[in-house]
Amino acid sequence: MPEAPAPSRTEAQERVDGIHSFRDELARLADEGILRLDAAQQAAVHYHHEHLLAEFAALFDVDRDSRAKQLSLGMRVASFLGALALAASVFFLFYQFWGHFAETAQVGILIASSFASFGLTMWLQRRDATGYFTKLAALVAFACFVLNITMLGQIFNITPSDKALLPWAAMAFLLAYTCDLRLLLAAGICCVIAYVQARVGTWHGVYWLHAGERPENFFPVAALLFVFPLLVAHRRFPGFAPIYRVFGLLCLFLPMLILSHWAYGSYIDLDADLIEGGYQVAGFVASALVIWLGARRGWPVTVNTGIVFFVIFLYTKFYQWWWEIMPKYLFFLVVGLTAVLILLILKRLRQTFHAPAGEGGP
Amino acid sequence: MKTWSRGRTLGAGIGLIVLTNAIALGGVWWNRSSTPESALTLSERELGLPWRSLRLMENSGLALNLNVRVAGRQAGEFAGGQMVNGGTPEWLDAAKMAALGFPVDTARADGERQQHARELPREVILVMELAGPAWQRALEKARESAGRHAAAAAVNVGSKQFADRAKQANDELAREENSNSRLFVIDAAAASCYSAGPCGPPRTVGEMARPKRPASSPGSATARFTYPTRYADHLNLLPPLANPAAAASASARNFSSAGASNRG
Repeated sequence: MPEAPAPSRTEAQERVDGIHSFRDELARLADEGILRLDAAQQAAVHYHHEHLLAEFAALFDVDRDSRAKQLSLGMRVASFLGALALAASVFFLFYQFWGHFAETAQVGILIASSFASFGLTMWLQRRDATGYFTKLAALVAFACFVLNITMLGQIFNITPSDKALLPWAAMAFLLAYTCDLRLLLAAGICCVIAYVQARVGTWHGVYWLHAGERPENFFPVAALLFVFPLLVAHRRFPGFAPIYRVFGLLCLFLPMLILSHWAYGSYIDLDADLIEGGYQVAGFVASALVIWLGARRGWPVTVNTGIVFFVIFLYTKFYQWWWEIMPKYLFFLVVGLTAVLILLILKRLRQTFHAPAGEGGP
Repeated sequence: MKTWSRGRTLGAGIGLIVLTNAIALGGVWWNRSSTPESALTLSERELGLPWRSLRLMENSGLALNLNVRVAGRQAGEFAGGQMVNGGTPEWLDAAKMAALGFPVDTARADGERQQHARELPREVILVMELAGPAWQRALEKARESAGRHAAAAAVNVGSKQFADRAKQANDELAREENSNSRLFVIDAAAASCYSAGPCGPPRTVGEMARPKRPASSPGSATARFTYPTRYADHLNLLPPLANPAAAASASARNFSSAGASNRG
């Protein structure tokens, strides 16, 4: 029988949380007289769980209780702020002393900083059980790489190109999957979004920096991002699939929202009112479909995103229809009653659908 | 998704850094390896220093502004009490806009007018000349305008309006002779023409960054590019618009630029 792959830190933490939940529920069942394990079973379960907790603590430095969890949250915030500050420090260091170096030295420093920061990240990953220092180094490594390409462009007056987004995205994804870092995954996805919409705009003859002024350029990348977790399983990275889906939905709904109020940004050559009305209807239909799909597949983040945009589309319509003609107290009463109606519908929806897989599944 | 081994991850990262820098630096080497079609020696009239307050900030680098002009139809004339400098280029007509890839037709109705207004910028190649016929024409026009308004002020003695216009025209002539940029955009072609093909032989794409937003005077634009650091100290000591002949020079090749847009 092939050996099961070693768990990731996220999977280990989920297992630890599951063990604590199991212990709490088992104690509750024993108190209520529903289930009580005999001494041998209790000892076996206890020994097994203690062994697992010790192993995970040694390998991944997981949070063993709620107090440790709260401290971990603080460490994550400190790690993020530290990474931002260090990246800013590197940037301003270059800025301040740049002009005193010759071109060769400038290029050498830029490339060396990319190598050094990436190497440091890999070295820390072998030794840092907590992962916080590794993630900090990974963010700095990404910042150094972005600075590397950007500064080369400034030194040699290279014509700005959307192709620079590709290596940035590649580095962000490499570090995100190596260090299990969702922030870098988001950065990589943003680079991919920027590149794809620039390419789509270029194919229509628009200069790439202005491609974002045609919101429809974002639709292809929206489909790509939403479908990607279905094509590539992310079992070892349970927090990654929701991020792909959320960004995909943002690339779908935000352009729809813009075009539902500003038809002149559309490629479609029809009457402006027709385009705006069409996108308003499409927004309602798409958000309802997303809610249904998310509830069916057990994707809570997807459901919530769909709900948020459904509400936004609905309230912007209410504003267009009634803000001018209704007394304000009546307007907000209608908005409040609508929110109650949405609550009732969602409650009914929750009763109808099960959630067999977590958000981490495809 | 399978996780990679540390060795594989390290190799991928190093390979990515090497490859990206190789492509960037290789492109720079290739761009500089050919002989340029033309080399322009620009003075401080065409290469503007940034504002002194910005130069003193925590930035040891130096970026110069490339001041580019167009010869507009109304250039040299008064409009709204102000002398027009630039405007829409005379050569940028409907035929040229169509050649650049913009849809141009004879539609005049409001709805169709809005269709034109929705066009976004396209990438084009600009042709520029330094101190050439376009600048000579601008200089002649400024001289003619100064002479005309001086004569009108001489005839209308006591009129403040004529005196003010004569002074403005004279100031504009002084600027045209001593400080205005002599770099004019005289033509444009679709960027797709600059791969090997029916539009001509392959050319080296220039090193200039894309022009930024237009400067305060209509009809001109600025582009920023970084200056060789060995001249930085010299440039920092120069007062604004000192002796043009004493300014440091930089060679510039064909320019790759973007932003010709249908704003009419």
